[in-house]
Formats: sequence, structure tokens, C-alpha cells
Amino acid sequence: MFEFIKEFFIEYNDMFPVIMLSLKVSLTSTLIASILGMVSGVATALNEFKLKRTLMRVTNTLMSLPPVLIGLLVYMLLSRKGPLGSLGLLFSPTAMIISQSLLVFPIIFGLTVSNISESAKEIQLTCMSLGASKNDTLKAIISECRMQLLSIVTAGFGRAISEVGAVMMVGGNIKAKTRVMTTYIALETGKGNFNEAVFIGIVLLFISFFINTVLYRLQRRE
Amino acid sequence: MVITVENAIKDYGDSRILDIDNLTIKKGIYVILGSNGSGKSTLLSCISGLNSLTSGNILYNGNKLDSSIKNSITILLQKPYLFRKTSYENIISGLKYKKINNKEIENRLNKYIHYFNVEELLNKKSHWLSGGERAKVALLRTSVLETEVTMLDEPTAAMDIESSMKAEELIKNLSKDNRTVIVVTHDVYQAKRIADYVIFMDKGKILEMGDKDGVLGNPKNKLLKQILNI
Ligand SMILES: Nc1ncnc2c1ncn2[C@@H]1O[C@H](COP(=O)(O)OP(=O)(O)OP(=O)(O)O)[C@@H](O)[C@H]1O
Ligand SMILES: [Mg+2]
Repeated sequence: MFEFIKEFFIEYNDMFPVIMLSLKVSLTSTLIASILGMVSGVATALNEFKLKRTLMRVTNTLMSLPPVLIGLLVYMLLSRKGPLGSLGLLFSPTAMIISQSLLVFPIIFGLTVSNISESAKEIQLTCMSLGASKNDTLKAIISECRMQLLSIVTAGFGRAISEVGAVMMVGGNIKAKTRVMTTYIALETGKGNFNEAVFIGIVLLFISFFINTVLYRLQRRE
Repeated sequence: MVITVENAIKDYGDSRILDIDNLTIKKGIYVILGSNGSGKSTLLSCISGLNSLTSGNILYNGNKLDSSIKNSITILLQKPYLFRKTSYENIISGLKYKKINNKEIENRLNKYIHYFNVEELLNKKSHWLSGGERAKVALLRTSVLETEVTMLDEPTAAMDIESSMKAEELIKNLSKDNRTVIVVTHDVYQAKRIADYVIFMDKGKILEMGDKDGVLGNPKNKLLKQILNI
């Protein structure tokens, strides 16, 4: 048994950096997109302005944007001749984080606006009637809607960790540098190494299962 | 504080919800009566600054609403939102927002909590409370702020008779020290018990106002007479 585990680890040694990088890139981009998306989402939910409907229609479109398009956009921005080319970020994890943040932001923003608008207004009125500052009101709304927001963040993370197109284009799938789970699966499948591909696929499923279990537990505790 | 409402108009789309030429509110307990949809809640939310008029003015000691005036006005909404926390945390939330120190928080709590038997409820999460219990927590949360002006929108609508009586004692206490309390209710007996002044509204207009005995004892308006069985 021990031998088996040892062999297993040796054989699959090169997969762990891949898994770690996947988690790092997707968690970071989800965090960035969540903070920006929630704050702007709550602000949009609370205010009525002229172009709100148009904004939401655009957001809904962006929510289903193919990752390769984001990849293309970020690629053009970061490529040597692009406006941000001097930063030399193309084919780096940072480029992947930028792409995934852009990919996840519309999801967090859009779902926040559509899911919490009604309760956010109610909470805002009550907070104001009790003399809360704007900051306190924002905090109260986020804290009161935490369960909805947590599901939204999970949806955003699911999108990030499972996409191939953007990380492939701006990361380049470079071994030990920008290779993540999804690009690994694509590559190994292409080479006919189904075992490795399936293993990583199972890891992906497991991560998603784990996150959903945590979420379920939290929801039940409420 | 003296609150004056002048030529106040509130429209939603094509419908006129409020149309008040003149209203002056000073110290004491003001009770607003009027049928559903007559604009009572809208009037309160405009006075509190949560809502704004389409045209007209509301002045506080002659001044426009600013943050210090806002701080001395509290409103208990008709459908108050309770935070998904314990009753205790709900009751003290306003005091926390106003950065009142812990000792004073305990003082205020002790001063008001005994009106209702809510000690057992203090550690209960608000979403498990019954309708009447929620109403008590919400009323306590507003009362402990002890602001110069307190507006209560149907505070006892969900309460049993005994609790309503207790709430009325609490309301009287809130009006001490020259403070102002404005209460919306559908219960004319409650109005008789607590009011110093009565305002009767219908379709966004104030049809009668004045001291309690005048308005309730000798009303001129037909609808009000009907309601009062006179
Ligand atoms: N945001 C809004 N948009 C459109 N109409 C509104 C809005 N808010 C209130 N109204 C309308 O304004 C009228 C007055 O409402 P308000 O809540 O002030 O009545 P009320 O006197 O408090 O009634 P109740 O006794 O039922 O509480 C109602 O006809 C209501 O439908
Ligand atoms: Mg009302």
C-alpha cells in the first residue's frame, strides 16, 4: 500500500504545481472580481440612474462571453506591440489573473444586482432610519446578504477554474510556469495521455464538490 | 423641535400621493389616522428624509434637513427590516451606529426592555421570532435611540392587546422631556389613549387636525364621524 502511494506521488509529481497554480490564479481573480463586483453591484442595486437597464443588458451579454474573446482582448493589450506591452506580462500568471478577473467580474456584478436589489433597498432604508453611515449601510447589506453573495462568488470561481480559452491564450500553457489544470487536460488529451487527463479532471470535480459542501454547511448553520 | 410642512406635494407618476398646504408639529404625541393608501407612511418618510417631496418644503426649526437634524429624527418603518442577528444585536444596532458607549447602551436597554417580556428572546435569532415579537424588537430598537423626534408607523399593529398597552406606556415615555412622537395607527381607541394631537388624512390631504378632544370629540368630516361612530 505504502509503495503504491509513493509510486503514485512520483508518477504524478508534476501535477501538483499545476493544481496549485490553478487554485492560485482562479482564487486570486475571483477575490479581485468579487470585491469590485460586489461593491459596484450593491451601489448599482441601490441607485436608479438613466442607463441602468442598458448597463444590465450589457452585463448580461458579458456574463456569457466566451473566455477566448477575453483572452484575445488581454492578449492584444499585453502583447509587445499592445498598449501595455512594456510591462512584459504576457505568458505570466499575472496575465492569467487579469483575464480571469475580467471574465468573472460581470458574473459577480450582474448576479449581485439581480439577486440582492430588493433586500438591499429594504436594508438601506432601515439602516438610514437608525442613523447608519453610508459605510455602515454597505457593510450591513453585504453581511445580511452574505449567503446569496457566497453562492455568487462560488459561481464566479466555478467559471474561473473551469475555463480554458483565456488562460491558454495569455498564459501559453508553459510547463511549471503557466500550466493550469484545464490547459493540462487539453494538452495531455491531445498527446493521448488519458490517465493524466482523467486524474486532473477528477481533481477539478473534487475541488468543486468540496466548495459546494462548505457552502452547504454554511447555509445550514444560518 | 418644530417641524413645518409647507405646500408639500408628492407625486408617483400621474397620481398625487401627498398634498399638504400646511402642517406644524411641535412637542407631544401626534397621532395620524387615515384609511389605507391615504399617504400616512409617505408623509412620515418625507419628514424623516428617507423620501423626498416632488415640490414644497419641510423645515426643522426653520432650517432645511441636514445631517445633524437627521441625527435627531428616527423612524420606525411600517415594515421594519430585522437584521439576521439576535434580538439583542438588533435592539442595540442603532446605538452602535451612533457610536454610543457600552455603558450607555446597557442603561438604555434597561430603561426600555422591561416594557415587554423579551428577556428570553434576546439571544434568539430574529428570523425565528413571531410577528408580534418582531414588532417589539423593532419598537425597542427605535426607542432606545431617544431622539428628539420619533416617528412610529403602526408600531402595535402586530401586537396583542396587553403588549399594545405596554407599547403605549413606552410611547408616552418617549414624549417626555419636550420630545415629539408621531404615531400612525388604525386604532381610534389607541389614539384616544395616547394622543395630544390628532391628524386625520384622506387621499393625501389633511382633512382635520388639532388637539385630541377637538378632532375626536367633535369631528366635522363625514368619514371621520363614521369611523368614530358619531
Ligand atoms: N414607490 C411608490 N410608487 C408608486 N406608488 C406608491 C409608492 N409608494 C407609495 N405609493 C402609493 O402611495 C399611496 C400612499 O401610500 P402610503 O404607504 O403612504 O399609505 P398609508 O396611508 O401609509 O397606508 P396604510 O394604512 O395601508 O399603511 C398608496 O396608494 C401607494 O400605493
Ligand atoms: Mg402605511
